[in-house]
Amino acid sequence: MDYLLLLIPTMLKGTSITLKLFFLTLAMALPLGVILALARLSKFKPLNVFMQFYVWIFRGTPLLLQLLFIYFGLTFVGITLERFTAAVLAFVLNYAAYLAEIYRAGIQSIDRGQYEAADVLGLTKMQTMSKIILPQMFKRVLPPMSNEVINLVKDTALVYVIGISELLRVAKTAAVTDFRFTPFIVAAIFYLIMTGVIQQFFKWLESKYEFYE
Amino acid sequence: MYILQAIDVYKKFHRLEVLKGISLQVKKGEVIAIIGSSGSGKSTFLRCLNRLETIDKGFIEIDGEIMVQNNADGKAIYSPEKDIERLRRKMGMVFQNFHLFPHKSVLQNIMLAPLLVKNINEAEAKALARVLLDKVGLDYKADNYPFELSGGQQQRVAIARALAMEPEIMCFDEPTSALDPELTGEVLQVMKDLALENRTMIVVTHEIGFAREVADRVIFMDEGVIVEEGKAEDVIINPKHERTKAFLSTVLMAR
Ligand SMILES: Nc1ncnc2c1ncn2[C@@H]1O[C@H](COP(=O)(O)OP(=O)(O)OP(=O)(O)O)[C@@H](O)[C@H]1O
Ligand SMILES: [Mg+2]
Repeated sequence: MDYLLLLIPTMLKGTSITLKLFFLTLAMALPLGVILALARLSKFKPLNVFMQFYVWIFRGTPLLLQLLFIYFGLTFVGITLERFTAAVLAFVLNYAAYLAEIYRAGIQSIDRGQYEAADVLGLTKMQTMSKIILPQMFKRVLPPMSNEVINLVKDTALVYVIGISELLRVAKTAAVTDFRFTPFIVAAIFYLIMTGVIQQFFKWLESKYEFYE
Repeated sequence: MYILQAIDVYKKFHRLEVLKGISLQVKKGEVIAIIGSSGSGKSTFLRCLNRLETIDKGFIEIDGEIMVQNNADGKAIYSPEKDIERLRRKMGMVFQNFHLFPHKSVLQNIMLAPLLVKNINEAEAKALARVLLDKVGLDYKADNYPFELSGGQQQRVAIARALAMEPEIMCFDEPTSALDPELTGEVLQVMKDLALENRTMIVVTHEIGFAREVADRVIFMDEGVIVEEGKAEDVIINPKHERTKAFLSTVLMAR
Protein backbone atom coordinates (compact mmCIF):
# COMPACT_ATOMS: atom_id res chain seq x y z
CA MET A 1 0.00 0.00 0.00
CA ASP A 2 2.80 2.38 0.95
CA TYR A 3 4.53 1.43 -2.25
CA LEU A 4 1.44 2.35 -4.29
CA LEU A 5 1.28 5.76 -2.61
CA LEU A 6 4.87 6.34 -3.61
CA LEU A 7 4.33 5.03 -7.09
CA ILE A 8 1.15 6.73 -8.14
CA PRO A 9 2.36 10.36 -8.20
CA THR A 10 5.17 9.50 -10.64
CA MET A 11 2.81 7.41 -12.72
CA LEU A 12 0.37 10.29 -12.85
CA LYS A 13 3.13 12.52 -14.09
CA GLY A 14 3.80 10.04 -16.89
CA THR A 15 0.10 9.90 -17.61
CA SER A 16 -0.05 13.65 -17.94
CA ILE A 17 2.64 13.49 -20.64
CA THR A 18 0.68 10.73 -22.37
CA LEU A 19 -2.51 12.75 -22.23
CA LYS A 20 -0.81 15.91 -23.42
CA LEU A 21 0.51 14.09 -26.47
CA PHE A 22 -2.86 12.46 -27.01
CA PHE A 23 -4.89 15.67 -26.97
CA LEU A 24 -2.41 17.72 -28.96
CA THR A 25 -2.34 15.03 -31.64
CA LEU A 26 -6.12 14.85 -31.80
CA ALA A 27 -6.59 18.60 -31.85
CA MET A 28 -4.37 18.87 -34.91
CA ALA A 29 -4.81 15.55 -36.70
CA LEU A 30 -8.62 15.57 -36.70
CA PRO A 31 -8.95 18.77 -38.74
CA LEU A 32 -5.77 18.18 -40.75
CA GLY A 33 -7.20 14.82 -41.80
CA VAL A 34 -10.22 16.58 -43.32
CA ILE A 35 -8.01 18.88 -45.35
CA LEU A 36 -5.86 15.98 -46.50
CA ALA A 37 -8.94 13.94 -47.43
CA LEU A 38 -10.27 16.80 -49.53
CA ALA A 39 -6.86 17.18 -51.15
CA ARG A 40 -6.80 13.47 -51.84
CA LEU A 41 -10.20 13.73 -53.56
CA SER A 42 -9.26 16.86 -55.45
CA LYS A 43 -9.45 16.78 -59.23
CA PHE A 44 -6.21 18.77 -59.30
CA LYS A 45 -3.81 16.01 -60.28
CA PRO A 46 -0.57 17.11 -58.55
CA LEU A 47 -2.34 17.55 -55.23
CA ASN A 48 -4.02 14.21 -55.60
CA VAL A 49 -0.77 12.43 -56.43
CA PHE A 50 1.07 14.17 -53.62
CA MET A 51 -1.58 12.96 -51.19
CA GLN A 52 -1.30 9.38 -52.38
CA PHE A 53 2.42 9.62 -51.81
CA TYR A 54 1.93 11.15 -48.37
CA VAL A 55 -0.49 8.45 -47.28
CA TRP A 56 1.78 5.75 -48.66
CA ILE A 57 4.75 7.06 -46.66
CA PHE A 58 2.92 7.46 -43.37
CA ARG A 59 0.89 4.30 -43.52
CA GLY A 60 3.62 2.26 -45.15
CA THR A 61 6.23 2.66 -42.43
CA PRO A 62 6.09 2.01 -38.69
CA LEU A 63 5.22 4.99 -36.54
CA LEU A 64 8.26 4.10 -34.45
CA LEU A 65 10.49 4.66 -37.44
CA GLN A 66 8.77 7.94 -38.24
CA LEU A 67 9.49 9.11 -34.71
CA LEU A 68 13.15 8.24 -35.10
CA PHE A 69 13.34 9.98 -38.45
CA ILE A 70 11.75 13.16 -37.19
CA TYR A 71 13.71 13.35 -33.97
CA PHE A 72 17.13 11.96 -34.95
CA GLY A 73 16.99 11.93 -38.74
CA LEU A 74 16.19 15.59 -39.12
CA THR A 75 19.29 16.57 -37.13
CA PHE A 76 21.37 15.37 -40.08
CA VAL A 77 19.81 18.05 -42.24
CA GLY A 78 20.32 20.62 -39.53
CA ILE A 79 16.87 20.57 -37.97
CA THR A 80 16.83 19.85 -34.27
CA LEU A 81 13.48 19.55 -32.62
CA GLU A 82 12.69 19.32 -28.98
CA ARG A 83 11.75 15.76 -28.01
CA PHE A 84 8.14 16.49 -27.33
CA THR A 85 7.73 18.68 -30.41
CA ALA A 86 9.18 15.91 -32.54
CA ALA A 87 6.76 13.43 -30.98
CA VAL A 88 3.74 15.64 -31.60
CA LEU A 89 4.83 16.29 -35.19
CA ALA A 90 5.28 12.60 -35.94
CA PHE A 91 1.96 11.68 -34.37
CA VAL A 92 0.02 14.43 -36.09
CA LEU A 93 1.45 13.61 -39.52
CA ASN A 94 0.88 9.90 -39.01
CA TYR A 95 -2.62 10.09 -37.58
CA ALA A 96 -3.74 12.69 -40.10
CA ALA A 97 -2.81 10.19 -42.83
CA TYR A 98 -4.92 7.43 -41.27
CA LEU A 99 -7.81 9.75 -40.52
CA ALA A 100 -7.67 11.19 -44.05
CA GLU A 101 -8.22 7.72 -45.45
CA ILE A 102 -11.14 7.16 -43.10
CA TYR A 103 -12.68 10.50 -44.01
CA ARG A 104 -12.12 9.83 -47.68
CA ALA A 105 -13.99 6.55 -47.52
CA GLY A 106 -16.73 8.34 -45.58
CA ILE A 107 -17.04 11.10 -48.16
CA GLN A 108 -17.07 8.62 -51.00
CA SER A 109 -19.81 6.60 -49.33
CA ILE A 110 -22.22 9.50 -49.64
CA ASP A 111 -24.73 9.21 -52.44
CA ARG A 112 -24.05 11.26 -55.56
CA GLY A 113 -27.65 12.42 -55.36
CA GLN A 114 -26.73 14.58 -52.36
CA TYR A 115 -24.26 16.54 -54.46
CA GLU A 116 -26.75 16.86 -57.30
CA ALA A 117 -29.55 18.01 -55.01
CA ALA A 118 -27.26 20.66 -53.53
CA ASP A 119 -26.02 21.60 -56.99
CA VAL A 120 -29.46 22.19 -58.51
CA LEU A 121 -30.40 24.29 -55.50
CA GLY A 122 -27.47 26.55 -56.30
CA LEU A 123 -25.14 25.72 -53.41
CA THR A 124 -21.46 26.29 -54.12
CA LYS A 125 -18.99 23.41 -53.88
CA MET A 126 -17.77 24.76 -50.54
CA GLN A 127 -21.28 25.01 -49.14
CA THR A 128 -22.09 21.53 -50.37
CA MET A 129 -19.03 20.14 -48.61
CA SER A 130 -19.45 21.99 -45.35
CA LYS A 131 -23.23 21.83 -44.98
CA ILE A 132 -24.20 18.59 -46.70
CA ILE A 133 -21.34 16.17 -47.20
CA LEU A 134 -19.02 16.59 -44.21
CA PRO A 135 -21.74 16.52 -41.53
CA GLN A 136 -23.06 13.25 -42.96
CA MET A 137 -19.55 11.91 -43.37
CA PHE A 138 -18.79 12.64 -39.72
CA LYS A 139 -21.61 10.42 -38.50
CA ARG A 140 -20.54 7.56 -40.74
CA VAL A 141 -16.89 7.60 -39.71
CA LEU A 142 -17.48 7.62 -35.97
CA PRO A 143 -16.95 3.86 -35.53
CA PRO A 144 -13.62 3.65 -37.41
CA MET A 145 -12.61 6.95 -35.89
CA SER A 146 -13.10 5.64 -32.36
CA ASN A 147 -10.79 2.73 -33.24
CA GLU A 148 -8.10 5.16 -34.34
CA VAL A 149 -8.47 7.27 -31.22
CA ILE A 150 -8.09 4.21 -29.02
CA ASN A 151 -5.05 3.17 -31.01
CA LEU A 152 -3.65 6.61 -30.43
CA VAL A 153 -3.75 6.18 -26.66
CA LYS A 154 -1.78 2.96 -26.95
CA ASP A 155 0.60 4.32 -29.56
CA THR A 156 1.69 7.14 -27.28
CA ALA A 157 3.81 4.52 -25.51
CA LEU A 158 6.10 4.54 -28.55
CA VAL A 159 7.64 7.87 -27.69
CA TYR A 160 9.86 6.13 -25.16
CA VAL A 161 12.30 5.60 -28.08
CA ILE A 162 13.12 9.26 -28.13
CA GLY A 163 13.38 9.35 -24.36
CA ILE A 164 10.07 10.88 -23.35
CA SER A 165 8.86 9.76 -19.95
CA GLU A 166 5.28 8.88 -20.71
CA LEU A 167 3.22 6.44 -18.68
CA LEU A 168 4.72 3.14 -19.83
CA ARG A 169 8.31 4.32 -19.62
CA VAL A 170 7.74 5.61 -16.10
CA ALA A 171 6.23 2.25 -15.18
CA LYS A 172 9.10 0.35 -16.67
CA THR A 173 11.69 2.47 -14.89
CA ALA A 174 9.94 1.94 -11.59
CA ALA A 175 9.61 -1.79 -12.19
CA VAL A 176 13.28 -2.16 -12.94
CA THR A 177 14.65 -0.01 -10.14
CA ASP A 178 12.26 -1.30 -7.50
CA PHE A 179 12.36 -4.83 -8.83
CA ARG A 180 8.58 -5.14 -8.69
CA PHE A 181 5.82 -5.94 -11.16
CA THR A 182 3.19 -3.65 -9.60
CA PRO A 183 4.01 -0.60 -11.80
CA PHE A 184 2.99 -2.56 -14.90
CA ILE A 185 -0.33 -3.45 -13.33
CA VAL A 186 -0.94 0.16 -12.44
CA ALA A 187 -0.02 1.21 -15.98
CA ALA A 188 -2.46 -1.32 -17.41
CA ILE A 189 -5.21 0.06 -15.19
CA PHE A 190 -4.41 3.61 -16.27
CA TYR A 191 -4.56 2.66 -19.97
CA LEU A 192 -7.83 0.81 -19.45
CA ILE A 193 -9.33 3.83 -17.74
CA MET A 194 -8.31 6.09 -20.64
CA THR A 195 -9.54 3.77 -23.38
CA GLY A 196 -12.70 3.07 -21.41
CA VAL A 197 -13.49 6.76 -21.18
CA ILE A 198 -12.89 7.15 -24.91
CA GLN A 199 -15.18 4.25 -25.71
CA GLN A 200 -17.94 5.76 -23.60
CA PHE A 201 -17.39 9.14 -25.19
CA PHE A 202 -17.82 7.72 -28.69
CA LYS A 203 -20.85 5.75 -27.61
CA TRP A 204 -22.37 8.98 -26.39
CA LEU A 205 -21.38 10.78 -29.60
CA GLU A 206 -22.92 8.07 -31.74
CA SER A 207 -26.13 8.21 -29.76
CA LYS A 208 -26.19 11.97 -30.21
CA TYR A 209 -26.13 11.41 -33.96
CA GLU A 210 -28.94 8.90 -33.88
CA PHE A 211 -31.49 11.64 -34.47
CA TYR A 212 -31.50 10.83 -38.15
CA GLU A 213 -31.52 7.85 -40.47
CA MET B 1 -41.39 34.09 -76.60
CA TYR B 2 -40.16 30.89 -75.08
CA ILE B 3 -39.04 30.44 -71.50
CA LEU B 4 -36.88 27.54 -72.61
CA GLN B 5 -35.44 26.59 -75.95
CA ALA B 6 -33.31 23.56 -76.59
CA ILE B 7 -32.34 23.05 -80.20
CA ASP B 8 -30.67 20.06 -81.78
CA VAL B 9 -29.08 18.77 -78.60
CA TYR B 10 -26.55 15.96 -78.84
CA LYS B 11 -25.04 14.06 -75.97
CA LYS B 12 -22.70 11.08 -75.86
CA PHE B 13 -21.50 9.00 -72.93
CA HIS B 14 -18.17 7.74 -74.17
CA ARG B 15 -19.23 6.07 -77.42
CA LEU B 16 -22.89 5.73 -76.56
CA GLU B 17 -24.99 8.37 -78.29
CA VAL B 18 -27.84 9.08 -75.91
CA LEU B 19 -29.33 12.25 -77.38
CA LYS B 20 -29.34 12.54 -81.14
CA GLY B 21 -30.65 15.97 -81.96
CA ILE B 22 -33.41 16.75 -79.47
CA SER B 23 -35.30 20.02 -79.75
CA LEU B 24 -37.84 21.38 -77.32
CA GLN B 25 -39.41 24.80 -77.02
CA VAL B 26 -41.42 25.60 -73.94
CA LYS B 27 -43.71 28.56 -73.39
CA LYS B 28 -44.26 30.11 -69.99
CA GLY B 29 -46.92 28.20 -68.10
CA GLU B 30 -46.78 25.15 -70.32
CA VAL B 31 -46.74 21.65 -68.85
CA ILE B 32 -44.72 19.21 -70.89
CA ALA B 33 -44.74 15.47 -70.28
CA ILE B 34 -41.89 13.40 -71.65
CA ILE B 35 -42.60 9.71 -72.02
CA GLY B 36 -40.61 6.89 -73.52
CA SER B 37 -39.12 3.53 -72.75
CA SER B 38 -36.23 2.94 -70.40
CA GLY B 39 -32.90 4.09 -71.77
CA SER B 40 -34.39 6.38 -74.38
CA GLY B 41 -32.56 9.39 -72.91
CA LYS B 42 -35.35 11.17 -71.03
CA SER B 43 -33.41 11.70 -67.81
CA THR B 44 -30.29 12.64 -69.69
CA PHE B 45 -32.17 15.31 -71.61
CA LEU B 46 -33.69 16.74 -68.45
CA ARG B 47 -30.29 16.74 -66.77
CA CYS B 48 -28.78 18.57 -69.74
CA LEU B 49 -31.32 21.37 -69.34
CA ASN B 50 -29.93 22.32 -65.94
CA ARG B 51 -26.39 21.28 -66.75
CA LEU B 52 -26.18 18.31 -64.46
CA GLU B 53 -24.80 16.88 -67.70
CA THR B 54 -22.99 18.89 -70.34
CA ILE B 55 -24.01 18.56 -73.97
CA ASP B 56 -21.68 17.92 -76.92
CA LYS B 57 -23.58 19.91 -79.50
CA GLY B 58 -26.65 22.10 -79.57
CA PHE B 59 -28.22 25.25 -78.25
CA ILE B 60 -29.99 25.88 -74.96
CA GLU B 61 -31.54 29.16 -73.97
CA ILE B 62 -33.35 29.85 -70.71
CA ASP B 63 -35.56 32.90 -70.26
CA GLY B 64 -33.98 34.63 -73.23
CA GLU B 65 -30.40 34.05 -72.16
CA ILE B 66 -28.06 31.63 -73.84
CA MET B 67 -26.62 28.87 -71.68
CA VAL B 68 -24.81 26.98 -74.41
CA GLN B 69 -24.41 27.30 -78.16
CA ASN B 70 -22.33 25.84 -80.94
CA ASN B 71 -19.10 27.38 -82.07
CA ALA B 72 -18.03 27.52 -85.71
CA ASP B 73 -16.92 23.88 -85.56
CA GLY B 74 -20.34 22.80 -84.30
CA LYS B 75 -19.12 22.08 -80.80
CA ALA B 76 -21.08 23.16 -77.74
CA ILE B 77 -19.60 26.13 -75.89
CA TYR B 78 -21.05 27.11 -72.55
CA SER B 79 -21.52 30.69 -71.43
CA PRO B 80 -19.38 32.02 -68.54
CA GLU B 81 -19.93 30.22 -65.25
CA LYS B 82 -21.39 33.28 -63.56
CA ASP B 83 -24.18 33.59 -66.13
CA ILE B 84 -24.85 29.89 -66.04
CA GLU B 85 -25.24 29.91 -62.28
CA ARG B 86 -27.90 32.57 -62.64
CA LEU B 87 -29.68 30.63 -65.38
CA ARG B 88 -29.57 27.37 -63.50
CA ARG B 89 -31.32 29.02 -60.61
CA LYS B 90 -34.34 29.41 -62.85
CA MET B 91 -34.58 25.63 -63.07
CA GLY B 92 -35.94 23.58 -60.19
CA MET B 93 -35.36 19.86 -60.12
CA VAL B 94 -37.15 16.99 -58.44
CA PHE B 95 -35.45 13.61 -58.55
CA GLN B 96 -36.83 10.13 -58.68
CA ASN B 97 -35.19 9.30 -55.34
CA PHE B 98 -35.97 12.63 -53.62
CA HIS B 99 -32.41 13.21 -52.40
CA LEU B 100 -33.51 15.04 -49.29
CA PHE B 101 -30.72 15.92 -46.87
CA PRO B 102 -31.06 13.22 -44.20
CA HIS B 103 -29.30 15.18 -41.46
CA LYS B 104 -31.65 18.15 -41.77
CA SER B 105 -35.22 18.37 -40.58
CA VAL B 106 -37.98 18.84 -43.11
CA LEU B 107 -38.09 22.57 -42.42
CA GLN B 108 -34.29 22.89 -42.61
CA ASN B 109 -34.26 21.03 -45.92
CA ILE B 110 -36.48 23.70 -47.40
CA MET B 111 -34.78 26.65 -45.70
CA LEU B 112 -31.24 25.69 -46.57
CA ALA B 113 -30.92 26.95 -50.12
CA PRO B 114 -32.82 30.21 -49.59
CA LEU B 115 -30.54 30.91 -46.62
CA LEU B 116 -27.29 30.04 -48.36
CA VAL B 117 -28.00 31.04 -51.93
CA LYS B 118 -30.54 33.83 -51.74
CA ASN B 119 -29.08 35.18 -48.51
CA ILE B 120 -32.41 35.92 -46.93
CA ASN B 121 -32.58 35.95 -43.15
CA GLU B 122 -33.57 33.08 -40.91
CA ALA B 123 -37.05 34.38 -40.09
CA GLU B 124 -37.92 34.99 -43.72
CA ALA B 125 -36.60 31.58 -44.74
CA LYS B 126 -38.62 29.92 -42.03
CA ALA B 127 -41.80 31.72 -43.02
CA LEU B 128 -41.26 30.80 -46.65
CA ALA B 129 -40.61 27.16 -45.76
CA ARG B 130 -43.78 27.02 -43.67
CA VAL B 131 -45.88 28.39 -46.50
CA LEU B 132 -44.45 25.84 -48.92
CA LEU B 133 -44.88 22.97 -46.49
CA ASP B 134 -48.45 23.98 -46.03
CA LYS B 135 -48.89 24.01 -49.78
CA VAL B 136 -47.73 20.39 -50.07
CA GLY B 137 -49.87 19.48 -47.06
CA LEU B 138 -47.04 18.66 -44.67
CA ASP B 139 -46.92 21.55 -42.22
CA TYR B 140 -47.33 19.07 -39.36
CA LYS B 141 -44.08 17.33 -40.37
CA ALA B 142 -41.88 20.43 -40.20
CA ASP B 143 -39.68 19.17 -37.38
CA ASN B 144 -39.44 15.57 -38.49
CA TYR B 145 -36.46 14.12 -40.27
CA PRO B 146 -36.74 12.66 -43.78
CA PHE B 147 -36.37 9.06 -42.58
CA GLU B 148 -39.52 9.49 -40.52
CA LEU B 149 -41.57 10.25 -43.64
CA SER B 150 -43.15 7.98 -46.23
CA GLY B 151 -41.79 8.10 -49.77
CA GLY B 152 -44.72 10.18 -50.94
CA GLN B 153 -44.21 12.66 -48.12
CA GLN B 154 -40.50 12.85 -48.83
CA GLN B 155 -41.18 13.63 -52.46
CA ARG B 156 -43.60 16.37 -51.49
CA VAL B 157 -40.91 17.89 -49.26
CA ALA B 158 -38.49 17.67 -52.19
CA ILE B 159 -40.97 19.58 -54.32
CA ALA B 160 -41.33 22.24 -51.62
CA ARG B 161 -37.56 22.45 -51.37
CA ALA B 162 -37.26 23.08 -55.10
CA LEU B 163 -40.07 25.65 -55.01
CA ALA B 164 -38.29 27.56 -52.26
CA MET B 165 -35.79 28.85 -54.82
CA GLU B 166 -38.69 30.21 -56.87
CA PRO B 167 -37.63 28.63 -60.14
CA GLU B 168 -39.19 29.64 -63.44
CA ILE B 169 -39.32 26.05 -64.61
CA MET B 170 -39.86 22.94 -62.53
CA CYS B 171 -38.31 19.75 -63.85
CA PHE B 172 -39.43 16.37 -62.54
CA ASP B 173 -37.59 13.15 -63.34
CA GLU B 174 -40.01 10.29 -62.75
CA PRO B 175 -41.13 11.76 -59.43
CA THR B 176 -43.39 8.83 -58.59
CA SER B 177 -41.38 5.90 -59.91
CA ALA B 178 -39.73 5.11 -56.58
CA LEU B 179 -43.04 5.16 -54.73
CA ASP B 180 -45.44 2.42 -53.73
CA PRO B 181 -48.51 2.66 -55.97
CA GLU B 182 -50.75 3.87 -53.17
CA LEU B 183 -48.43 6.85 -52.56
CA THR B 184 -48.20 8.18 -56.11
CA GLY B 185 -51.58 9.92 -55.92
CA GLU B 186 -50.57 12.46 -53.26
CA VAL B 187 -47.48 13.50 -55.23
CA LEU B 188 -49.36 13.74 -58.52
CA GLN B 189 -52.00 15.85 -56.76
CA VAL B 190 -49.36 18.35 -55.64
CA MET B 191 -48.05 18.49 -59.19
CA LYS B 192 -51.54 19.03 -60.56
CA ASP B 193 -51.96 21.94 -58.16
CA LEU B 194 -48.72 23.44 -59.45
CA ALA B 195 -49.91 23.05 -63.03
CA LEU B 196 -53.14 24.85 -62.14
CA GLU B 197 -51.05 27.78 -60.86
CA ASN B 198 -49.67 28.12 -64.36
CA ARG B 199 -46.23 26.95 -63.48
CA THR B 200 -43.95 25.89 -66.28
CA MET B 201 -43.22 22.22 -65.81
CA ILE B 202 -41.29 19.55 -67.63
CA VAL B 203 -42.19 16.12 -66.32
CA VAL B 204 -40.55 12.86 -67.27
CA THR B 205 -43.08 10.26 -66.29
CA HIS B 206 -44.47 6.81 -66.78
CA GLU B 207 -47.83 7.97 -65.46
CA ILE B 208 -49.71 8.08 -68.73
CA GLY B 209 -52.92 9.08 -67.00
CA PHE B 210 -51.24 12.08 -65.43
CA ALA B 211 -49.67 13.07 -68.73
CA ARG B 212 -52.99 12.91 -70.45
CA GLU B 213 -54.82 14.86 -67.80
CA VAL B 214 -52.29 17.54 -66.90
CA ALA B 215 -49.84 18.00 -69.75
CA ASP B 216 -50.42 20.56 -72.48
CA ARG B 217 -48.01 18.70 -74.66
CA VAL B 218 -46.67 15.16 -74.64
CA ILE B 219 -43.35 14.18 -76.08
CA PHE B 220 -42.50 10.61 -76.90
CA MET B 221 -38.79 9.84 -76.98
CA ASP B 222 -37.16 6.74 -78.28
CA GLU B 223 -33.48 5.94 -78.70
CA GLY B 224 -32.37 9.52 -78.30
CA VAL B 225 -34.81 11.21 -80.64
CA ILE B 226 -38.26 12.70 -80.33
CA VAL B 227 -40.46 10.37 -82.31
CA GLU B 228 -43.74 12.09 -81.78
CA GLU B 229 -45.08 15.12 -79.99
CA GLY B 230 -48.29 17.01 -79.74
CA LYS B 231 -51.36 17.59 -77.63
CA ALA B 232 -51.85 14.95 -74.95
CA GLU B 233 -54.99 13.54 -76.54
CA ASP B 234 -53.32 13.18 -79.90
CA VAL B 235 -50.17 11.47 -78.76
CA ILE B 236 -51.74 9.26 -76.14
CA ILE B 237 -55.11 8.44 -77.65
CA ASN B 238 -54.28 8.55 -81.34
CA PRO B 239 -50.57 7.98 -81.71
CA LYS B 240 -49.36 8.10 -85.29
CA HIS B 241 -46.08 6.28 -85.08
CA GLU B 242 -45.72 2.56 -84.65
CA ARG B 243 -43.13 2.99 -81.92
CA THR B 244 -45.44 5.25 -79.93
CA LYS B 245 -48.25 2.76 -80.26
CA ALA B 246 -46.02 -0.10 -79.19
CA PHE B 247 -44.74 1.83 -76.18
CA LEU B 248 -48.20 2.92 -75.08
CA SER B 249 -49.64 -0.53 -75.38
CA THR B 250 -46.89 -1.96 -73.16
CA VAL B 251 -47.27 0.67 -70.44
CA LEU B 252 -51.02 0.59 -70.53
CA MET B 253 -51.02 -3.16 -70.42
CA ALA B 254 -48.73 -3.13 -67.40
CA ARG B 255 -51.43 -1.66 -65.21
N1 LIG C 1 -23.59 8.94 -66.49
C1 LIG C 1 -23.76 8.02 -67.48
N2 LIG C 1 -22.69 7.38 -68.00
C2 LIG C 1 -22.84 6.49 -68.99
N3 LIG C 1 -24.00 6.16 -69.55
C3 LIG C 1 -25.11 6.76 -69.08
C4 LIG C 1 -25.04 7.73 -68.03
N4 LIG C 1 -26.30 8.15 -67.77
C5 LIG C 1 -27.10 7.51 -68.63
N5 LIG C 1 -26.40 6.66 -69.42
C6 LIG C 1 -26.94 5.82 -70.48
O1 LIG C 1 -27.66 6.64 -71.37
C7 LIG C 1 -28.84 6.00 -71.81
C8 LIG C 1 -30.04 6.87 -71.54
O2 LIG C 1 -30.22 6.95 -70.13
P1 LIG C 1 -31.35 7.80 -69.45
O3 LIG C 1 -31.17 7.65 -68.00
O4 LIG C 1 -31.35 9.17 -70.01
O5 LIG C 1 -32.65 7.04 -69.93
P2 LIG C 1 -34.15 7.22 -69.45
O6 LIG C 1 -34.94 7.45 -70.69
O7 LIG C 1 -34.22 8.23 -68.39
O8 LIG C 1 -34.51 5.79 -68.89
P3 LIG C 1 -35.36 5.38 -67.58
O9 LIG C 1 -36.80 5.38 -68.00
O10 LIG C 1 -34.87 4.01 -67.27
O11 LIG C 1 -35.06 6.36 -66.51
C9 LIG C 1 -28.89 4.65 -71.13
O12 LIG C 1 -28.40 3.68 -72.02
C10 LIG C 1 -27.96 4.82 -69.96
O13 LIG C 1 -27.35 3.60 -69.64
MG1 LIG D 1 -34.65 8.19 -66.32
